[in-house]
Amino acid sequence: MTLFSRLLTATLLALLAVAANPAAAQRKLTDIPAPNPTAELADMLVAEGYEVNLFAADPMICKPLQMNFDPQGRLWVSSSSVYPQIQPGEVANDTVTILEDRDGDGQADTHTIFADGLLMPTAVLPGDGGCYVANSTEMLHLADRDGDNKADQRRVVLSGFGAEDTHHIIHTFRWGPDARLFFNQSIYIHSHVETPAGVKRLNGGGIWRFLPRSLTLDVYARGWVNTWGHAFDQWHRSLVTDGAGGEGIYYGFPGAAYQAAVGTPRILHGMNPGSPKYCGLEFVDGPHLSDDDQGTLITNDFRANRVCRFRLAEQGSGFSSEQLPDLIRSRRVTFRPIDIKLGPDGAIYIADWYNPIIQHGEVDFRDPRRDREHGRIWRVTAKGRPLTPRIDFTRRSIPELLNDLATQSAYGRDMARRVLWSRDPVSVRQAVTNWLAKLDPAAASFDRLRLEGLRLFQAIDRGSVSDINQPLLTEVLGSTDPRARAAAARIAVDWADRLDDPVRLLTSTVTDDSMLVRLEGVRALAAIGGPEAAALVLQVVDHPRDDALDYAVWLACRELQGDWLPAVVAGTSPMSTNPGRLLFAIEATAATEAIPAVVQLLQSDSLSAADRNAAIDCIARFGGPAELQLAFKAAVDPATPPARTAALLTHLLESENRRRVQPAGPLTGLERLITAANPAVAKAAIEAAGRWKVETAIDALARVASDTKRPAPLRLPAIKTLGQFASEAAVKPLDQLTRDQSTAMALRIAAVAALLNQQPQVAATTAAGLLADPLAEPNQIAIFKAFLSRQGTPAVLAAAIEANQRPLPASVASVGLKQLAGSGRDEPTLKATLKRLQGGSEQPMGRRSFSAAEMAEFLAFVQASGSAPRGHEIYRREKLQCVKCHRVGKEGGRVGPNLSTIGVASQPDYIVNSLLEPAKNVKEGYNTLVVLTVDGQVATGILTIRADDIDEESAGTSLMPVGLVDQLSRQELADLTCYLLGLGREGL
Amino acid sequence: MNVSPSPSWKLSLTALVLVLGTTGELAAAEPAGGAGSQWQLHDGERVVLLGDTLFERDGQLGLIETALVTAFPEADLEFRNLGWGGDTVWADSRGVFDPPAKGYARMTKLVDELAPDVIFIAYGRNESFAGDQQLDAFGKQLDKLCVDLCHQDSREPSGRPRLVLVTPSPFEQQTTCPNADAKNAVLARYAAVIRKTAVARQAGLVDLFADWPTAAAAEASTTDGMHLSPFGYQTAARLFAAAAGRQLPDDWATRTASVRQQINAKNQLFFHRWRPANETYLFLFRKHEQGNNAAEIPRFDPLVAAAEADVRTARDALPAAGDLP
Repeated sequence: MTLFSRLLTATLLALLAVAANPAAAQRKLTDIPAPNPTAELADMLVAEGYEVNLFAADPMICKPLQMNFDPQGRLWVSSSSVYPQIQPGEVANDTVTILEDRDGDGQADTHTIFADGLLMPTAVLPGDGGCYVANSTEMLHLADRDGDNKADQRRVVLSGFGAEDTHHIIHTFRWGPDARLFFNQSIYIHSHVETPAGVKRLNGGGIWRFLPRSLTLDVYARGWVNTWGHAFDQWHRSLVTDGAGGEGIYYGFPGAAYQAAVGTPRILHGMNPGSPKYCGLEFVDGPHLSDDDQGTLITNDFRANRVCRFRLAEQGSGFSSEQLPDLIRSRRVTFRPIDIKLGPDGAIYIADWYNPIIQHGEVDFRDPRRDREHGRIWRVTAKGRPLTPRIDFTRRSIPELLNDLATQSAYGRDMARRVLWSRDPVSVRQAVTNWLAKLDPAAASFDRLRLEGLRLFQAIDRGSVSDINQPLLTEVLGSTDPRARAAAARIAVDWADRLDDPVRLLTSTVTDDSMLVRLEGVRALAAIGGPEAAALVLQVVDHPRDDALDYAVWLACRELQGDWLPAVVAGTSPMSTNPGRLLFAIEATAATEAIPAVVQLLQSDSLSAADRNAAIDCIARFGGPAELQLAFKAAVDPATPPARTAALLTHLLESENRRRVQPAGPLTGLERLITAANPAVAKAAIEAAGRWKVETAIDALARVASDTKRPAPLRLPAIKTLGQFASEAAVKPLDQLTRDQSTAMALRIAAVAALLNQQPQVAATTAAGLLADPLAEPNQIAIFKAFLSRQGTPAVLAAAIEANQRPLPASVASVGLKQLAGSGRDEPTLKATLKRLQGGSEQPMGRRSFSAAEMAEFLAFVQASGSAPRGHEIYRREKLQCVKCHRVGKEGGRVGPNLSTIGVASQPDYIVNSLLEPAKNVKEGYNTLVVLTVDGQVATGILTIRADDIDEESAGTSLMPVGLVDQLSRQELADLTCYLLGLGREGL
Repeated sequence: MNVSPSPSWKLSLTALVLVLGTTGELAAAEPAGGAGSQWQLHDGERVVLLGDTLFERDGQLGLIETALVTAFPEADLEFRNLGWGGDTVWADSRGVFDPPAKGYARMTKLVDELAPDVIFIAYGRNESFAGDQQLDAFGKQLDKLCVDLCHQDSREPSGRPRLVLVTPSPFEQQTTCPNADAKNAVLARYAAVIRKTAVARQAGLVDLFADWPTAAAAEASTTDGMHLSPFGYQTAARLFAAAAGRQLPDDWATRTASVRQQINAKNQLFFHRWRPANETYLFLFRKHEQGNNAAEIPRFDPLVAAAEADVRTARDALPAAGDLP
């Protein structure tokens, strides 16, 4: 990655990490309630039909970070008082505690410190005679060999995990049904983990999966900001939440990538856009809870102090998700639900981190209000419904455990599986075979149970040929329920080294009726690899597909490039005669080597018109100079319809901009297009003439630039393009335009800007003259911007202003200074000139701030007389441009922080300060970046520039322009504040 | 990686540089070259351990460092462990938000700031997973690392730190590490490159790969086929001492446990000093938010210094070999 793209990535990371700019205002938090569990409980609003009781609290536990039950029904909790950062001299002594409710009254009656001496243990998962613990940079296994419930053996299982941010370190441990330990890391973490199969690296967020028995480690999915929730449904499908994302529930599968994934040009999206920040995730799947709740997802919005619910519906290759009314809401700022699990009695258990402060990026590490000692586990039960009988699964026989797999309880199935993995594999294999033989094929549960049986073979696989069960796998691949077929495809990958012909076994998946099966089939084939697998994967392109499936094929094309591309290049691939597959594969990989095959394809008579166009488009996007010439000829062919011409020119321009490749040969014919009647064609042709420096097009450009009959949207680019040519034929019309009184001022100014390239002095003299005349402010701004965006020219403008006989009005100087400040450029000469002309009498533009007393007075005024509806009107005013950059719900831009929940997340004074002085509270990722391109252009703000076009870059100021609210009256500012304060409170 | 020296750190560095002037001359006087050449450690010297998980985990177990501290009872030594899991001669693990090349630059800068007299370099295992095709590139980069670390191109020999190259221990056949023989066949060629580089750069050598005992041992040397178990670390520690011509007594590990405890405490403090958590907020692109907390990090320096003193006290309190029951 280049420096610039890394910087952009980092900026993007920061941008996502603070999407709703939540806790910055926590600095101002003053009203902290007493840590009384009874009062905390009383502050909870609990959904109808449920009740909440305290299961455990400090001092039994402190600051719970993750919790997981073991097959005996005991709750393991990891806790940290060291977070967020160890102090010099402090001894790291964080703990793992086991809580037990022996009498079954719903309250923990014993607690045992299983392990101490830990450093920020962000996860704990019982298993393998002890527990796995996330210990900052390493995953430990702590074993209890003598059975006294105290760890007596400490083993580093994996190490090399990053700790660049201590709420991002590895977390969210969960056993998958395949006996893998799934765990997550968040956005700022860079991990480099040595395993006997090589070093596994993951930069940025993602989900790892790890098989402790074989130390097999790989990245399951990538991206997210704070991947703090991961749950499996009955069919092993992953659902994921993000503690800083804004899209609710996400669907996970091998290779999936979501926002902020590092090194991935394409990402998928969550299912609930605008629904932010969830931590922990669990399926409601157990008889204690009502039938209506079964299959819903429960998760925590720790930031808004609530426990939320979602309902999924099967859709395409994945799901759709709908948010349901909250399970718990609290007004208490210290209620911080961060983990959620179903327990042995069927109740819902919620780990409450209990803290008024939720961040360490925004709030000082050593802020005294940071709570380091409290913490609660709450228990939610359904009123009037019987609890699930508690079972010690470790005492169950293998046949009993197999029957447990049939229960309608995710907890019971999970524990039964975990105990079965620890039993003698030979006995389990035999028992599973017998159990499978007795299943009733007519039963509704048949497909799921048979899959459970197959899973056990997978989970206890020790790597020998006799451990796999190919007949059973084949059967499950033929299940009636597509979810079983899909799960089986994934299992085939684990056994690919021992199956007779895994690719053949998966052949039917790519033409399966179910998109889910096709998705898993594609991912499985991509993992297995080989030319046959690649050919199968591309068959999926023949049929309609949703975004996730399309992504899966796209990713497979990239992963298997070495398996399909050589045959295409050699001309021996059957793909070469299938335009859909060939073009998809090239689009996915940008494999320019395959373009000759597309050229070949064009020779075919049987090609449909649509395929022919697609092929030419593909050539225009990925071809070399000679091939681009083909596309260019098609574009300038008079027989080509204008819309096609415009599309082709756009593709060709993209090739120039992205790849620096332009059509070979003389580019004749462009001049005709420049003067074409179709504006889209003319506009693209004008741009192309500039990008390709087509000298023969200058006359046509000059004609358009000077033609008073043509619309400004065409004349402007023609003027701009003329500025790229040094010849007299280009300069002369520009010079004329700058002086022509009858020409619209915007065009004259554009001509000044264009002239800057070749004749800066002339342009500056003209500009100085224009600025001394009465001129509308937007035109003044345009002139200053033109000079500020060209390296070396602001000083020339300053000289011209000084030399001009008519002095620049002070108001114009003020405009110039504001533009200068906003550009982030340091231009001392121009600044000095403008300052002098401004006279120094005016206050700096757009600066106004409140003292503490003024703030208090203003906030009281907001409360008394602010109107949110009026504020909404002001917010939407075009002049203020709020909507252009900020997002509220589904409306607005994505340039600035998302404001959907700013009212809940931020304190009033913070909001007011951010309006008055954007630079004061600028968030990382929302400052501007000043970039000098190799051709001397200076750009500021949001931009897309090729990395190798960048010559120099420096940090600018806040993206939010200063003085936006200057024109507002006090009442209007109060209304706007009132509106913003209400955002995010709708759900509370 | 962002160790910005505090004033006190800088002061001690200055003092060290002054000391270095004399020790450097001493170093130049002793034989430095030759394959498998002997190397020694001297009183007052600072040693940097640079490499992958071999050194990173010794930062917790302390066996290699304890072996060297007790094998040179006549010398007061300071160790700075810069091991990083998954690392390579390209500093693949040290880029953090930047490309590895920047991590490499930070690493060499950090080593410079630490002003070591001796640098142990332990790489090659992670690189070997790429097979023979990366062998040449590995050799070139290892050589570059040697040149960069001792400023071969710009410093007089007397002003350069001395280097000791370490070959990886062999892979061990385990269920988690199948095909150990095939892996070792490749690793042997990487070890040969390390040996060759040691000769070319007149560096010392600890040849774990060649000298690893082949006889069946009581315990597994590794926990997973590649990472040393405590038993394996004892073997490695002996080989480190033996390479300097010093033999450790059989009961060495148990009788030096008190020293090791202090070494581990010191290494934990130094870890928080050079590789602190929350770098993003302390030193990197969100430092404008919590960068003020970075002031805490140099406060580990006096704690590390005190822990060094504890190491020496514990070492001095060790009974002589003959006094043991």
